[in-house]
Amino acid sequence: MANGKDRIAEAKRFSGAHSCVECGRCVAVCPMAEMYTNFSIEMSPRGVIKKALTGNDIITDENIWYCTECNAGTDVCPQGVSCRDLIRDLREIAIEENVVENLKYCTRCGKQFLSIPAKNFVFERLREEPSNVLDILELCPSCRREIYMLRNT
Amino acid sequence: MLEQTNEQNNIITLEDLRPRPKEKKTFSDHFMPRLHPGILFDPEKCTGCGTCEMVCSLRNVSKIAPASASIKVLRDESRLKNFAIFCQHCRKPLCVEACPTRAIEKGEDGIVRIDKLFCVSCGLCTMACPEAAPLIDPVTAEINKCDLCEGDPLCVKYCPTGALTFTKGKRIRWIKGLRWSVQAISFLLLTVVLLGSFCSFKAGALSLSCPTGVLQNIASSGKVVLAWVLSASLILGLTILAGRFFCGWLCPFGFFLDLVDKITPKKIGLPLFLKSRMVKYGILVGAVGGSYAFGFQAFCPVCPIGSICRSYGATGTLNGANMGIVAVLGGLEVTERRVWCRYFCPVGALLALFAKIGLIKIVIGANQCKKFSCIQCAEVCPMGIIDADKLREGISPDIPMTECITCMRCIDRCPYGAAKIRFRWQKAVPGDVAL
Repeated sequence: MANGKDRIAEAKRFSGAHSCVECGRCVAVCPMAEMYTNFSIEMSPRGVIKKALTGNDIITDENIWYCTECNAGTDVCPQGVSCRDLIRDLREIAIEENVVENLKYCTRCGKQFLSIPAKNFVFERLREEPSNVLDILELCPSCRREIYMLRNT
Repeated sequence: MLEQTNEQNNIITLEDLRPRPKEKKTFSDHFMPRLHPGILFDPEKCTGCGTCEMVCSLRNVSKIAPASASIKVLRDESRLKNFAIFCQHCRKPLCVEACPTRAIEKGEDGIVRIDKLFCVSCGLCTMACPEAAPLIDPVTAEINKCDLCEGDPLCVKYCPTGALTFTKGKRIRWIKGLRWSVQAISFLLLTVVLLGSFCSFKAGALSLSCPTGVLQNIASSGKVVLAWVLSASLILGLTILAGRFFCGWLCPFGFFLDLVDKITPKKIGLPLFLKSRMVKYGILVGAVGGSYAFGFQAFCPVCPIGSICRSYGATGTLNGANMGIVAVLGGLEVTERRVWCRYFCPVGALLALFAKIGLIKIVIGANQCKKFSCIQCAEVCPMGIIDADKLREGISPDIPMTECITCMRCIDRCPYGAAKIRFRWQKAVPGDVAL
């Protein structure tokens, strides 16, 4: 567990989370606000950074799994904090700590390629599509390309 | 919740701030919609050289970096096959639906573009795309998606083997109007203007007869008259040239069934023991044999095509018995589409024998219906000969020309241009993967 804490500290240092001034610019541009109806300050990058800095249970927190790992927050941050890198690292540590219930695996190759909330969002947006299209969404991008190639050559 | 409200206290959503553009449709777009533009790819010709990736990255990031291209060449070493993944500019793009910032839009010209101003490179478009065509740049983490170079794709221009070709959207659905008008004119000519003219018609040197009627004539009278055979050969020749064109475009009873079909959209299905397409050949043999036995044309009195042609006699009164046959067989239409033509018509059976040695065929390239879910061709086919299950699996269905009435509904309807009319000796399935 101590190892995990060290790694969290390392992740915070690498992403520059300590220099966060809580201006909220990342929240203003965050696409999650459009994606999830239950978007809250805890889920936003600013909330995750704050919790990573002050709280203890950031690894088991569900809120780190909502992020789509886009670059919008990092682009606008006046302090150069990379919330994407922070969340990526936190997710990596979480997987090592065996917190895996929010991972979406490819049904063909078994690779993890999305988080469950992001997958649910895509499925919600495409729910009117026929079921065989939704089956394709269960696959990771490289498997999709491969299957498309196998079908057509 | 972090949300803003307007004067009416409604929550402001992205739809209010940046509404989606309304689809503009001109008059001709409504009746003859365009296929969307796109790049066609022929895997047979691709050598996997990667020139397309190079020129594409040159346009995207101003340097040769294949990973930053909007096209990706997959090279399968074990099967010695190459394949290119690129945006197909779908008719109904899934990426547009999935994009949380609504940065992707399909333009009026059919090109799907990403607006870099709004794109936050979250990568959800890649997750929604059935073949993961929007590629994520490993360096800048931006999404690279093909925009067809605004109508002049560099990859097509520089492809050394011509595996990539560019196609502009062409207009479709004009066959529908043509067919309905030809059918209506033919119906009026055969039933109203020239009474009974389909069964046998003579004007000076020109004569025209129903081929099945001629067969029955020959059987009943026991002699072959050259004039009869020649007069029947007009329709038979047309059948060899263009399949059962008569059934789909000219037959007055077929037109009547199509009209009945319009008002009975729900089908209840036919009992299984009647669902054999061989029944019509049996009726044909029975008609010819009966004519031989009885000495008169056995089938013609109950023939629905003849009935509708002779529906009112010379005095102008409606012929009750004939109208009854037409009405009963029209009523059968609630079971399946064109149920008479599918299973029972002996005229169609004779034409089917000639269509079997005909010059044309219909091909449907299943690898072109990318998502394997549209199957509109199978839905519109009045004869029900397109195998929807095979299409869903991505296998090109075999279309028996003996059953096809060449109505060209499938060709007209296919939004991807995958259904085509081909000569018998041409390649069965087009090799290119087109959308």
